[in-house]
Amino acid sequence: MSLTIYGQQLNSRLLIGSALYSSPELMKRAILASGSQVVTLSLKRQNPSEKSGAKIWQYIQETVTEVDGFLLPNTAGCRSAQEVFTLAQMSREIFQTDWIKLETIGDDYNLQPDPIELIKATEILIKDGFKVLPYCTDDLVICQRLWDLGCEVIMPWASPIGTGKGLMNPYNLETIRMRLPEATLILDAGIGKPSDACLAMEMGYDGILLNSAVALADNPVAMAQAFSGAINAGEQAYVAGIMQQRQTAQPSTPTLDTPFWHQPGVN
Amino acid sequence: MKNIHINGQPHSFALDEAGNIEQVLALFFNGQKQSTFALALNGEFVGKADYANTSVNNGDSLDIMLPIQGG
Repeated sequence: MSLTIYGQQLNSRLLIGSALYSSPELMKRAILASGSQVVTLSLKRQNPSEKSGAKIWQYIQETVTEVDGFLLPNTAGCRSAQEVFTLAQMSREIFQTDWIKLETIGDDYNLQPDPIELIKATEILIKDGFKVLPYCTDDLVICQRLWDLGCEVIMPWASPIGTGKGLMNPYNLETIRMRLPEATLILDAGIGKPSDACLAMEMGYDGILLNSAVALADNPVAMAQAFSGAINAGEQAYVAGIMQQRQTAQPSTPTLDTPFWHQPGVN
Repeated sequence: MKNIHINGQPHSFALDEAGNIEQVLALFFNGQKQSTFALALNGEFVGKADYANTSVNNGDSLDIMLPIQGG
């Protein structure tokens, strides 16, 4: 099943980060194994004559070209709407895309997005023609504001970035899904296990964005394949329609006319 | 002379009052081949097309940004 982001149809519902791998070669192999067509990356201050950054950039370009995919630059490290706007414009010039993964850090301990600056930055970016993919907390009202501002894609966290704690608050995430049925919802950050991703897809989320869970696995290539399978399974289950939970046990095998049926009151 | 911070480090360049970003970069890179980058002057983006017509003043800060891995 395909995912559409700002009009671009994708074969995979997994968006994957390019950071934290032990080598550029392993990064490329893991991304290819994941089946993802959207790769996140960033910008940092560096002297252009240094060669280390150029090699990473070359690998990311090669990988995205090979999967006929898309770059998704982020605004990691930004704390204000002004910083975001500057970095986003730089990204647009370098990467030739108006997609931007909007991040505004609000707290150093849990790296929680700053919702106030997030909203301000979204307004500025959309006005300037960017297609914004905002990373936010699982706050329903913030998600609604982002949708109202024109974000077709909204990316609430599962839990703080890099923790691998999975879905901290399934109730909030389910409520966001229910209240924003038209939004493309991508769960971003905090995913640890393939079952976390599967659970979100079973809730009706449209996709998963992750990095650490694959990059920090003992075998990132195998883990990328595991996530791909889990996301597909969760999405198929959601489409198939999951049965309602029941409070009481119900036999799955018909009991009528079984030879040892015990009627109430009969020993 | 102009004293300009590039990526947080102080640098001095032999430029007159009309010095622009293109001239600063030419002196800073000193003929070395450069990879892809984008630039901000005093925290605000300046596009490549504007390097030659954007003045750099004494005490200004240039940030030169390159692609890196990201999540």
